[in-house]
Amino acid sequence: MIAHLSSEQLAECILGQPSLIVARHVQDCTACRAELARFREALGEFRGAVRAWSQDQADAALSIPASLPQPRFPAASRQLAWALLMAAVCIVASFVLPWRGGEKASSDAVLLNRVDAQVSRTAPASMEPLMKLVVQE
Amino acid sequence: MVLADLGRTASADLTNMQLSATSELERAIRTDVAALAGDFEALVRFYRPKVFRFALASLRDVDAAETVTQDCFLRAYQARERFRQDCSLHTWLMQIAVNLIRDHARNRRLQFWLRASLTAKPVDGAGHTIADRGRSPEAQALLQEQVAAIWAAAGRLPEKQRTVFLLRFVEDMDLLEIAVATGMKEGTVKTHLFRALRAVRERIGETV
Repeated sequence: MIAHLSSEQLAECILGQPSLIVARHVQDCTACRAELARFREALGEFRGAVRAWSQDQADAALSIPASLPQPRFPAASRQLAWALLMAAVCIVASFVLPWRGGEKASSDAVLLNRVDAQVSRTAPASMEPLMKLVVQE
Repeated sequence: MVLADLGRTASADLTNMQLSATSELERAIRTDVAALAGDFEALVRFYRPKVFRFALASLRDVDAAETVTQDCFLRAYQARERFRQDCSLHTWLMQIAVNLIRDHARNRRLQFWLRASLTAKPVDGAGHTIADRGRSPEAQALLQEQVAAIWAAAGRLPEKQRTVFLLRFVEDMDLLEIAVATGMKEGTVKTHLFRALRAVRERIGETV
């Protein structure tokens, strides 16, 4: 004779594989029989609840309209938009940067001309009036 | 009195379950015969809800469950020539589903940030809806609490225990079928079930 059913013995009964002693105890013990019935009922209701809930979820998934409105910029389009934007920036930059370069180049040329003019002088600017006198002689 | 009520309810439930199980079995046999004759669509129609249900109860994410279900049938289709008929089609499909769910759960653990993605639709669960079978409001409330406790306990079980628990108590598979589906020995399945039942019973005990 055993006291009341342990968890393992209760599991044996739930799985339908009780030993002879356990089966006899369940037959004789009202409390254990009630406990077993409660547990079985809860597990049975659990099965029903999961099945009903799963069915609800499946129905809800199916009820979503097949043609969902597409987002204005789905992931692929967004990447394409970025690529186009970058290309546009590059094109604009290719026009703008040489123009700035040209401006710089022209200012360089003016500076070089001034230097050339300075270097090509035979005498410093402050002595140029004397040079005129020398030529006149 | 309560015991007599329980007995009557259990008896009526048992009769209903036996009747539905018989028609379910007949449909399963017809489907298996059609599927083995090459009608893969019949297989998908019949087993899709079962695979989806198991995936959903395991992962608790509708999008993930749908992905796993689609992958399951895709793999089954690709491997249909290799099905050796040493187990039922149901068990074979569940075997594929168990592997996919395990892989998915691992990936999800690694990429935990995905769980926060906007597309994932986590679900509250099955613990809040039980059928009204003419019980008293108190009995109905108590049972509802117990079902919610089982749902919560199942969610906290280690992966293997949860898998065998759901296969046994939601999918009604026997120990041998579960062993084939999970690739475990029958004794190992039983051990996992014992542990799962103990954890679940402890959780129920907390609610009473």
